[in-house]
Amino acid sequence: MAQPLLEVLDLRKRYGRNTALDGVSFQVFEGELFGLLGPNGAGKTTLLSIVSCLLEPTSGEAKILGRKASTSDRGLRREIGIVPQESAIYGELSARENLRFFGSLYGIRGPKLEQRVDYLLEAIGLADRASERVEGFSGGMKRRLNLGAAIVHEPKLLLLDEPTTGVDPQSRNHIFEEVRRLAASGVTIVYTTHYIEEVETLCSRVGIIDHGKLIACDDLATMLQTIEGVIRFRVGESTPAFEQRLRQIPGTQLNGHAGPAIELECHDVKTALMQLIRVLNELKVELLSLETIEPNLERVFLHLTGHALRD
Amino acid sequence: MLIWTLAKKDLRLLLRDPRAMVVLLAMPLIFILVLGMSLGEGFGQKPDDRLRISIVDLDKPFYDEVTKKDITWSKTVMQDLAQTAGIRVEVIPSLAEAEELVSSSQRAAVLVFGPKFSEQVTLSSFLKGGVNPLFRDGVDINALDARMLVDQTQLTAASIIEQVGQVTLLRTVLPWMIGRAFERIGQQMGKFVGNALQSMFPNYDLTGTTWQALTRAEARTDQRADISVYGSAKGTGIIGRGAQRYQTLVPSYTVMFAYFLVLTVGWLFVAERRQGTLKRLRAAPLSRSEILLGKLLPCFLLSLAQGIFLLVAGKLVFGMSWGDHPLWLLLVVFTTSLSAMGLALLVASVAKSEAQVAIYGTLLVLVLAGISGCLMGDRDLMPENMKQFSLITPQAWALVAYKQLLANTGPANLTLVAQSCVALTAFGLGFLGLAWIFLRLDTQT
Repeated sequence: MAQPLLEVLDLRKRYGRNTALDGVSFQVFEGELFGLLGPNGAGKTTLLSIVSCLLEPTSGEAKILGRKASTSDRGLRREIGIVPQESAIYGELSARENLRFFGSLYGIRGPKLEQRVDYLLEAIGLADRASERVEGFSGGMKRRLNLGAAIVHEPKLLLLDEPTTGVDPQSRNHIFEEVRRLAASGVTIVYTTHYIEEVETLCSRVGIIDHGKLIACDDLATMLQTIEGVIRFRVGESTPAFEQRLRQIPGTQLNGHAGPAIELECHDVKTALMQLIRVLNELKVELLSLETIEPNLERVFLHLTGHALRD
Repeated sequence: MLIWTLAKKDLRLLLRDPRAMVVLLAMPLIFILVLGMSLGEGFGQKPDDRLRISIVDLDKPFYDEVTKKDITWSKTVMQDLAQTAGIRVEVIPSLAEAEELVSSSQRAAVLVFGPKFSEQVTLSSFLKGGVNPLFRDGVDINALDARMLVDQTQLTAASIIEQVGQVTLLRTVLPWMIGRAFERIGQQMGKFVGNALQSMFPNYDLTGTTWQALTRAEARTDQRADISVYGSAKGTGIIGRGAQRYQTLVPSYTVMFAYFLVLTVGWLFVAERRQGTLKRLRAAPLSRSEILLGKLLPCFLLSLAQGIFLLVAGKLVFGMSWGDHPLWLLLVVFTTSLSAMGLALLVASVAKSEAQVAIYGTLLVLVLAGISGCLMGDRDLMPENMKQFSLITPQAWALVAYKQLLANTGPANLTLVAQSCVALTAFGLGFLGLAWIFLRLDTQT
């Protein structure tokens, strides 16, 4: 098994009487693309700030490459790249000047810096506008440059804090592509977001955080298996005999009526659906409408927290 | 190296920020230009309540056959006037200028010595054949090739000046004529008569040709001769290039606007926080000191450049003199920049937004400028107790130093300049110390 590059152990952070993080523990392995899903204010940014050596925890610790993350550890910061929520770049400088500046902060100089900057400008799709001042860029272009500035020094651990907020689809795809490419090249990535579809698209393992607590942490497939699929349908006339037959379908549970509709929870939606159709045919029950709901992270989140992610 | 990397970036940002250029370079120049044009020629000079006697001196030396030497009597008259308590002499270089000044009522009266003034005074005598300059009212100046230009709208002031001129001319001409006459008596009637007359008037030296010699008086030591040349305070052209007032205005506004660095630095820090770039800097392998020094260095360099730029502009545009100790000026610019930088960082450490920087920064700079005397352009306009109180501000110390180097009537007191530089340095270090305590680089996460 791969070694954990990031270990978060019982991490707590309090701001006065407010608890931002409440005993968070998880591991992220080398080369892994780990998603941290949670609503705004869940504690994601605080967690990233501690991991990126910007903030000291109240208790617990975060270890990167076996070293405790601390605000005084300058050396460890070389191994970390951070993409903050805001476009943390200089509007009065050009894209190239921004990348050069952030690269030189990490001691990269001369031709190596120029090569790296050229490569990144190409990778984030800004090569043709490299010399323009960033203040004239769209929000999406700034976000792409924001990502470029975080990886100019080739970090081992990349922390992305809501990197696609307010981004157009084209820029989002650029960011996704670059994140996937980085993961494929062995960079360990922690991707925080409140967009479920981003985690589902990108991440192999997910942590769900709410009110400062990590309420679930597992690989995506396993996490989806924790909840049932649902078949919701309406029939012409529901008789007791029909409902009795529904209860006998293996691997399903009849939830009863949700208004005029009947809900059937099932582990395997496809198999259950075939069984349902057979019962309908046998008993000559008229099907008026049918809807299937596969397990997804949104429902996992609802299931675990009792509220929707965007509440 | 990392500090220089940060500094280069901020210098680039500052140079691309039109606000900084306008506030630090354009505004002081505009202030100096506008005030320089609207203030009178007396601005920047110590108020002088002595009676001003304006003179045009066209007099030429005259060879005296008796004493066998050239005599320039106009110089003697001016010296006598200048050594008189409560009087200062102003020499107007040309008759045309004098006529212009009188016709425009800028001078009530101007005494003009003609080219034959010395000749006529030398030839003045009680004896037959000599020039007789005396008449009922005193000295007939026309007889001595002199005249008085009078502004008819200021006859009272003109008559006072005329009377002062009369007294001085009497003090000059009368002993000369008495001395010459007494010499003649001695020559024609013999030494015995001469000695007899002298013994009758023991309090007077009848052969003395000056008032001091005639009256056997001691030379004056309590009154320095004060003869200035008209024009040195006025300057030339529309803006009065070279005028005395720029010796005060340029340093005043150089000092005042040096502290507007508060706005530039404040905006730079707040923008760094607002953009989130401060977070990125903190996430980089940089120490707090490196980040702060990397930000302070460009601000200090900018402040130095601003000070030097304004002094150079003062010389080139306004014809200001750098005085006798230009290198000391650099020291004053350096220490002023240090204190301005400290204050700027202190404000940046407490301001939370660009609006706060603009409002509180401007208020602070203007209040300090008002207390120190920068705002009114000349500390000498302040009452003495306020002048003392103003030394609680760094601006006041900078002005004290500049005054010594640029606008002092006598030689500059370099000890006072050095004291001011030490005070400015202390202010700078004090402000930086406080800023170090208050400044939080970490933002709410």
